[in-house]
Amino acid sequence: MKRWIALLAALLPLQVLALSGEEVMKKSQAAFLYPGKDFKARVLMKLVGRDGQERVRELTMLRKNAGAPGGEQKYFMYFFQPADVKDMTFMTYKYPAKDDDRWLFVPALNMVKRIAAQDKRSSFVGSDFTYEDVSGRDLEDDSHAIEREEKLGTRDCYVVKSTPKVGDAEFGHKLTWVDKANFLPLKEEQYDKRGAKYKLFTADEVADVKGTPTVIRRTMKNLQSGHRTEVTYLKSDYDLGIEDSLFTERFLRQPPRKWID
Amino acid sequence: MTRTSLVDLSIRRPKLVLLAAAIVTLLFATQLARMRTDTNPKHMLPETSDVRVWNDQVDRTFALYEDTIVVGVENDAGVLNRETLGRIARVTDEIVGLEGVAARDVNAFPTITNVTAEAGTLKVGPLLPAAPKSDAEVEELRRALFGNPLFIDRIISKDGRTTAIYVPLEKGANGAEVAGRIRAILATEKSPERYYIAGDPVARDTFGAEMFKLMAIFSPIAGMIMFAAIQFMFRSLLLSVAMMAVAMVAIAWSMGLLIAAGFPVHIMSSMAPVFLMAIATDSIHIFNEFYFRYRERGDKLAAIRETMAAVSRPVRYTALATAAGFAVLLFMNIVPVKVFGALVAFGTVVLRLLSFSFIPAVLTFVRDDRLAVAAEDAASDRTSRMLGQVGAVGAAHPRMVAAATLVLVAGALWGTSQIHVNNNLVAWFKPSSEIRVADAAMNRALGGTSLGYLVIQSGADDFMKQPEAVRWIEGLQRRLEDSPLVGKTFSVADYVKRINRVLHDDDAKHDTVPDAKDTIGQYLFLFSMSAKPSDLDNVVDPGFRKANLWVQLKTWDADAMRQVIAAAEDYHRTHPLPVTIKPAGIAYFNLVWNDEVLGDMVRGFTIALLVVFAILVFNFRSVKWALVGCVPLLFTILLIYGVVGFAGKDFDMPLSVLSTLSLGMAVDFAIHFVSRFRQRLAETGTGDIAATLQWTGARPGKGIVRNAVLFAAAFSVMLFAPLTPYVAVGAFIVAMMTLSALFTLLLLPALVMLGRRWLIKGG
Repeated sequence: MKRWIALLAALLPLQVLALSGEEVMKKSQAAFLYPGKDFKARVLMKLVGRDGQERVRELTMLRKNAGAPGGEQKYFMYFFQPADVKDMTFMTYKYPAKDDDRWLFVPALNMVKRIAAQDKRSSFVGSDFTYEDVSGRDLEDDSHAIEREEKLGTRDCYVVKSTPKVGDAEFGHKLTWVDKANFLPLKEEQYDKRGAKYKLFTADEVADVKGTPTVIRRTMKNLQSGHRTEVTYLKSDYDLGIEDSLFTERFLRQPPRKWID
Repeated sequence: MTRTSLVDLSIRRPKLVLLAAAIVTLLFATQLARMRTDTNPKHMLPETSDVRVWNDQVDRTFALYEDTIVVGVENDAGVLNRETLGRIARVTDEIVGLEGVAARDVNAFPTITNVTAEAGTLKVGPLLPAAPKSDAEVEELRRALFGNPLFIDRIISKDGRTTAIYVPLEKGANGAEVAGRIRAILATEKSPERYYIAGDPVARDTFGAEMFKLMAIFSPIAGMIMFAAIQFMFRSLLLSVAMMAVAMVAIAWSMGLLIAAGFPVHIMSSMAPVFLMAIATDSIHIFNEFYFRYRERGDKLAAIRETMAAVSRPVRYTALATAAGFAVLLFMNIVPVKVFGALVAFGTVVLRLLSFSFIPAVLTFVRDDRLAVAAEDAASDRTSRMLGQVGAVGAAHPRMVAAATLVLVAGALWGTSQIHVNNNLVAWFKPSSEIRVADAAMNRALGGTSLGYLVIQSGADDFMKQPEAVRWIEGLQRRLEDSPLVGKTFSVADYVKRINRVLHDDDAKHDTVPDAKDTIGQYLFLFSMSAKPSDLDNVVDPGFRKANLWVQLKTWDADAMRQVIAAAEDYHRTHPLPVTIKPAGIAYFNLVWNDEVLGDMVRGFTIALLVVFAILVFNFRSVKWALVGCVPLLFTILLIYGVVGFAGKDFDMPLSVLSTLSLGMAVDFAIHFVSRFRQRLAETGTGDIAATLQWTGARPGKGIVRNAVLFAAAFSVMLFAPLTPYVAVGAFIVAMMTLSALFTLLLLPALVMLGRRWLIKGG
């Protein structure tokens, strides 16, 4: 009996200190999608088919946070490749718990079009990443629970199960391996409604950028089609002082050189 | 020698022989419970066949699904009203949640991608995310549907009365199960709409059920008819039971072996029991002769021995010919046909083995008093006399008989020239069947249920973004749509035009392909960023080297796809472009398979003819007699082809297979006739050809007629079968047996008379 009490006493403080699934995912969101006031990277995407055929997307991505992690964000993307879409620019205002606003500049028509964002699970530029994978799913849409804690390679991780609160036709749940030290998601498995794993995200390389641990290489693999997309961030940088005025239709048409190179 | 000793053993230890047969049969019968069916038409060709490898590759390149169930919804008052749309939304929602359904790519009002522009905003998303709440929303939907050519004839009929829900299935999903669940969902909706469920998986399922019906209901009925006929002919219950037992044993052994070897039962092998039952009737010659002999001798055991000695040669050779006819199928390309050939060939050998063991064993049990009555009856009845007279007609008026036959043959040749080779899988079902009704309704209202693809391949990346390429595809679509058989075509050009128009404020003037490659590239990039991934994947490959043109056909006739390919090639000639066009899809598969059937038929028929001829030569030890023996058989087939041609019936797979088999079965009568005729001529030594012909017509001839009647009786059951190929098979066999018996009994005597100097030394 005494031993039981001792054991309970030993566990109790831990239980009090331990994070909930919600808290882990919130910290993970902040570490993965919101670090810095702003962020810039040259993004290289390699789309690899099952037969090994490769296609490339190259773009500059700029992000600016409006406030605290979990709040509003603005994204600006300028495309270098494929060649026929060079000079195309794409802008997103991301709101928590509301549909994003998206604009696209079509150089061939010299025209900016607003795009109604209805499907967050559309493919991002034809890759295996969806919009949701790129800019994050609303944390409130899912309930999060820590399934277990385990080592992934050398890193201690929380394994968090996130289940949509409202039924979804396709998406069943996901498991995220969140690094206990820096809260970056190192691995994510997406399951369909029937419980079959259909997508696998892996953070392949984490680097220190201005003191912030940043995932600079990542892969999303579609387990059903065998197709995968490998993403590399070149020239990642934080806190560059990107102006709010960049995220306007004017600069969508004529993006300033200094920001897109 | 072994056969004689087998006969001896069977007479001396009949109980042992019967017991051994029973034990082996039980062993094989245990396998029957493990039966699986395979109703997938794709399995007609081996997995490694070019067309299947290519089709799989196309499915992968363009993210296509192998199987799609199509649910048609029809409302005479139009489907565009709040109630119907509400039901469609509900039903679609439930279907999307079904196991085995590729949820993301279900296409229906609530889910299909729509590209529109509203107040400067480009909207790419599901057409009808929620059921409309007001009539104004319904009107908006009507405008969206009829303003977008991508939708017309695909998810809305021109008259607005029919829509469809396209339900693609995940790989390995059970189509029958999904279709069943969809039916259950539809059953809960009380509504004025009519629902149709069509598509390949449903057809296959229906097919499987009908196949079981054939095996489980029609085969036993055929057996009972034969039983009744034998009982009527010989009036000995023991003999009737013995004959049926022989058939059952052969069926159990062959089907048991098939299943034990791991093969599924296919459309062809499902007919094997009826075939084996019919082939079993060949032992009628043994009974026939036994009754004649018994009457002459009065000693049962001696009669058995003599009978076996007299008929063993023809029975052995007819079995050989039949087995060879089926074994020839092993040289064909169509997998189930090969399996069927091996199966029935094996069964035939089993049957013959039983003829020399099981049957003599049973004959020892026939009670003498019964035998005397039956034998008297059998040997001296009117049939024999009449048959003798038929033979005499042929012998007495050989020129007239031959001339009449020639006239018939000339007509048949003309009919044969009218034959049209075609396979139409849906036409295999009766017009009143659910699947056929659904197919007809959908083809009437929408673009067509039979789907073919034309894969346009270039050698350069991004080729399909060039305006010339996109316009070329668009032109090809218009050319194909000239054909009344093509209901709808669909390609990347349709998306490009749609986006061009929408980006220009929905101005119909811009419903065109733009002039610059970059513009097209940007349009498609934009589209790929907002639509379902499959929307673009279905029509171009990721590198834009290949484009996939969808062609919906209003008929499952293999010929329709041939016309599409010809039109495409013609267009390519007049509009040169550095691409290749390669057809694919289930419609193309059916075409390839159709041609394979014809090639197989010609090859199989030739081989079977040579084999049968060789067997005849070997049996008769005379080329001349072999030639004569082939005549009734050839004329029979020719006459049937003539009728098929005259009637305008499609010459399809079951018929082509039958032509080959029928050689081995139809030659049996000639073998019996010629063998026994020559035997008799030698025995009597009188040299009276006309009298011998009359005897042959009366005695073995009676066996031939009995055999033909039994055979035809068994197969006549299939005339009432639920699938048209079975009906065709039934009609074919009935006609073949009747005609070849007639030709044997009438024409052979005429030919023998005409060629007597040439055939018979000193004749």
